[in-house]
Amino acid sequence: MSQSFPFLRYLLLGKGGGAGAAATILAPLGRDGRIDAVRGLALLIIFINHMPGNVVSGFMPHNFGFSDAADIFVLLAGISAVLAYGALIERRGLGVGAARIGARLWTLYIAHIAVFLIVCGVVARAVTGTHNPLYIEAINIQPFFNDTPAAVVDALTLTYQPYYLDILPLYIVLLGLFPVLYHLVRFSPALALLISALVWQGAVHLGLNFPNTGAAGWFFNPFAWQFLFTLGVVIGRAMLLRIEAPRSHLVDLLAAGFLVFALLVKVSSGNPFGLAILNDWIENLQIGSDKTNLAIVRVLHLGALAWLFIRFVPAGSALVSGVVGRNLAVMGRHSLEVFCAGIVLSIAGQIILAETYFALGVQLLVCLTGITMLLGLGMFLSWYQSVAQQGSVSKPSAALGASPSQS
Amino acid sequence: MSLALTTDQRCRAGAADHPFQPGLSAAKKALQETGKLTIVALGSSTTAGAGASQPEHSYPAVLEAELKRRLPEREIKVVNKGIGGQSAYDMLLRIDADVVAEKPNLVIWQTVVNDAIRDVGEEKLAKILKKGIRKVEAAGIDMVLMDLQWLPREDRYPKYDEYREVLAKTAQELNVSVFPRHAMMKSWAKSNKFTEEELVGMDGLHMVDASYRCLAVRIADGLVGALTGEKLDLAESPKPTN
Repeated sequence: MSQSFPFLRYLLLGKGGGAGAAATILAPLGRDGRIDAVRGLALLIIFINHMPGNVVSGFMPHNFGFSDAADIFVLLAGISAVLAYGALIERRGLGVGAARIGARLWTLYIAHIAVFLIVCGVVARAVTGTHNPLYIEAINIQPFFNDTPAAVVDALTLTYQPYYLDILPLYIVLLGLFPVLYHLVRFSPALALLISALVWQGAVHLGLNFPNTGAAGWFFNPFAWQFLFTLGVVIGRAMLLRIEAPRSHLVDLLAAGFLVFALLVKVSSGNPFGLAILNDWIENLQIGSDKTNLAIVRVLHLGALAWLFIRFVPAGSALVSGVVGRNLAVMGRHSLEVFCAGIVLSIAGQIILAETYFALGVQLLVCLTGITMLLGLGMFLSWYQSVAQQGSVSKPSAALGASPSQS
Repeated sequence: MSLALTTDQRCRAGAADHPFQPGLSAAKKALQETGKLTIVALGSSTTAGAGASQPEHSYPAVLEAELKRRLPEREIKVVNKGIGGQSAYDMLLRIDADVVAEKPNLVIWQTVVNDAIRDVGEEKLAKILKKGIRKVEAAGIDMVLMDLQWLPREDRYPKYDEYREVLAKTAQELNVSVFPRHAMMKSWAKSNKFTEEELVGMDGLHMVDASYRCLAVRIADGLVGALTGEKLDLAESPKPTN
């Protein structure tokens, strides 16, 4: 129980242990390979799932539980935001932190617009080339073709989002909120989670969402999904303060039990528990969950997964430092680029699959080729980054060594 | 007979082979008692009007105009609740807000195409459809399910027919009328009275107004028949024989 005291103290007051806390927070935290590896895995799952109907997607996690890769992605976004911008705010102040966040928001926005345009082009070309109007339907891109001038304006203001082009706008909103959220979590993680949960559930009850042309609202309702991001910020801040999760076998058991329950529900065709009173509830869980408004079972499922992962997969675990983990981390480290490439590849993949009548060999080939390309992109960017860093490190020394006559 | 009505006759190509005679007890009663009829068109892009040159050319808008013309002095409203790309589950989640809250007498549910192209699972789809139908039924609203569209090279989606079968079977099981869109479109395509672009907008840029218009005309035929008991002359060239 000695461990739960610092944890509770953190949860309520947002403070680390003792007088050394300020020093702890300023000491740089080594990059946690687990975050990159899990994010890389989530990116691959998103790529596969964005080609619905392919055999490989039948093995993806959403078939075995309530949450999926998007939930993990948003939670990790919250954690990473603390490690990148939270740490910066601590070291350099809110001004510098906010400026860096602003620059990142601009990059995300430009990336979103570029992907939007590329996807519209790919689909337009596919529809004219293959005479299949359903490609337009598949990603709800008809507002773009019906009324292009209006759609362009709406795309620029993020109020028109075809399917699959909805997660970056969410991330833009969440990251924009980060300075406020971070300060709230700094003050009290428990209070931050409470407010966040109230906003989420309040919006669900009032039917609040951001506007989306040709749809009911944003596919990822920011009022709902901010909860997972806030949860990520709370976890990230705990990492920054080196707070350990308390050991509790009871919570371990509850979490594992919930994962097993979800698995049984998802893989059974009827009610696996035999209790007639549960029939309707089980069937509701089997046919889907409200992704737009972040159904509560998704959060419970993700929470259980995250708890067990933090408890049983330590930072240096062989799971993340092995060949697979390292390769996943290569993609996870360049998540924006890999994500954007994955979106374009998956939409091209959807078209290839339909045009080849979903032949099994082609399905496997498309999945494998896509994964190879995404991994290749991650490797290339890692290489490029290391070259660029060498360049920037050697620059000052070169400048120092340069004789004045050269200038 | 105006030009538009004459061209509407081509919509009835092959109508005798796949009749649409929905059972509309609630709507009929409401129309008789109050003179009002409200229809919600729930669906994906066909309902939203993808490919129509203007919103007034979407099928729900044309249906409203047709019903107003054929049932004069009645208060008729067709509410368009189509959202492109949605699966049956997406629509199930909004039945309360988009259908029940509108207090209609009839819902025309156009769905399953996105479930077919995403292969969501036939058993799961059947459960979703049943839930949706029961929800609407429980609210005392009549329902018509719309069959999927006919497409050239449908085998791009190998389970297209299986998913159509799920819709047909579920409808039969729960005694819901099905609007036979697939068979109709096939007849239109065979009739040589339409170009392929008119029917399916195959290049995605041409408009499919003709196809939507015919859809609405044929739904109106069925609804008016069921509501008034009138039988429409289905002869393909209605020349007065006096």
